[in-house]
Amino acid sequence: MITQVDNPILEIHDLIVSYDQSPVLWNVDLSLPSGKLIGILGPNGAGKSTLIKAIMGLVTPSSGYVKIFNETLDQVRSRISYVPQRESVDWNFPASVLDVVMMGTYGKLGLFKRPGKKEKDIALSCLEKVGMMSFVNRQISELSGGQQQRVFIARALAQEADLYLMDEPFAGVDMSTETAIFHLLQEMAAQGKTVIVVHHDIHSAMNYFDWIIMLNLHLVASGPNEHVMSEELLRKTYGGKLNLLTKVTDLIKQKDFNPLKS
Amino acid sequence: MMTFDQNAFLIIFTASLIAISCGLLGVFMMLRKMSMTGDAISHAVLPGIVIGFFISGSQRGLEVIIGAGILGIFATLVIDWLRQKARVQLDASIGITFTLLFAIGIILINLLAYKVDLDQECVLYGEIAYLPIDLWISDSGFNYGPRITYLAVLNVALVGGFITLLFKELTLTSFDENFSTVMGLPSKTVNLALMSMVSYTTVSSFEAVGAILVVALLVVPPSTAFLWTKKLMPLIKLTCGLGIFIALSGYYLAYLVDSSIAGMMVAVSGVLFLASVLIKGKRPKFTFELPRSKNGLSLEDKQL
Repeated sequence: MITQVDNPILEIHDLIVSYDQSPVLWNVDLSLPSGKLIGILGPNGAGKSTLIKAIMGLVTPSSGYVKIFNETLDQVRSRISYVPQRESVDWNFPASVLDVVMMGTYGKLGLFKRPGKKEKDIALSCLEKVGMMSFVNRQISELSGGQQQRVFIARALAQEADLYLMDEPFAGVDMSTETAIFHLLQEMAAQGKTVIVVHHDIHSAMNYFDWIIMLNLHLVASGPNEHVMSEELLRKTYGGKLNLLTKVTDLIKQKDFNPLKS
Repeated sequence: MMTFDQNAFLIIFTASLIAISCGLLGVFMMLRKMSMTGDAISHAVLPGIVIGFFISGSQRGLEVIIGAGILGIFATLVIDWLRQKARVQLDASIGITFTLLFAIGIILINLLAYKVDLDQECVLYGEIAYLPIDLWISDSGFNYGPRITYLAVLNVALVGGFITLLFKELTLTSFDENFSTVMGLPSKTVNLALMSMVSYTTVSSFEAVGAILVVALLVVPPSTAFLWTKKLMPLIKLTCGLGIFIALSGYYLAYLVDSSIAGMMVAVSGVLFLASVLIKGKRPKFTFELPRSKNGLSLEDKQL
């Protein structure tokens, strides 16, 4: 169940990514519309983060290509923003919340130039959007997990991009923060930005995403939320790991269902 | 009896400058979890020094610095390559690379011993006490003063300029290298530039303080300062301050017990660090988290 679109903002063609000899993404081929809030769903180890990293050029695909805004990545870097997984950095680093958010402006600033008042204003307005104004001068080592996540999102906003790729922005985040961030992302999509989010809570995915990609090494589905959110496709994606549909899980166990073989 | 004459001033001044150069670079090496890579570089430059020495015929030649710089970058690249392509643990790849290059350097020194006035002792320990008699005398016979002091001034100026110019890039790539790459900033180049500066600083300082003290100055003052502050600018300033204090107290303690100045400087910095751990370690709120190894953060180790 893969829906292709005309004039895609992001086009992935026959992408294969392997670590050592074993492929972690098989033949992913999809295209995504612009101005949508897009979720990538799949169990642990399904290649969700790898897909994001392949799009951002952080891992080199074995074959296939990625086109963004119908261009190669290097031509459009300034229009793309990235939120890495929170654990990918050491939060003991000596920097304040403002310092980290200002980092989002460095790409447009270019080499050697120092950030000035303009960059500071951008950073402050982004911190306001994520509700972190009272933490501006706080050291990042003193933040909670949810606050760290908000800082990362603010830093991505400071890039002032058109396409946002977020790797697990809701990991370790409480419900109220999750809702607040989802509303912010919906607002951004309404303004014509495209936001792609790696996510694994199916409940909130159903409620918030416009478009859903289901991944489990292979691409299982890519299409509008209402078309792809079916029990069948979820079962295909999660196999035995799906807690949501407990009855289905039991059934799958009985039949020794393995999504890797399908 | 304590004295403060011109020689004492020159030695302390030069040692402070070297400590500041090393401390400035050491802060960023520490934040990148690469302190041990600094160690590796300081030893791996030896073959470069010997070859440069052999080509130029003097330890003052530009060839020596270029040779060392090339070897320093080479060592960095080999360490990276072993880790990423051959899947060797970071600490193992550092250990393998720098001992191999250092051994090659020692063999070269022995092979070329009849031509090269250089020995392992000098490279490893240095002797800053000889500084006042190692003068820079021009062809016309004018005495400019101690040569190593000039090297240290030039070194601290270049390191200071480098950090000022690339402060934003160094901070960003130290905190989040992937993010920097994604934004199109040349994080690999910034990294290699930092390694080159470390190589150059090592060579520039080794005659005075030796490779071992260079490592100590790269690692210990930043780690000590990081126990006291969690802000970057105060961290850098405190590191420089510690460097000056270590030079000053190291000199007078060595004078007091009539021992090696470089050795005493390392001892003082070690004692300062331990004292800081004991004082700051008592407050659980600001516990010092040992730097996690860099490979703990690398791409391939993260979940897919």
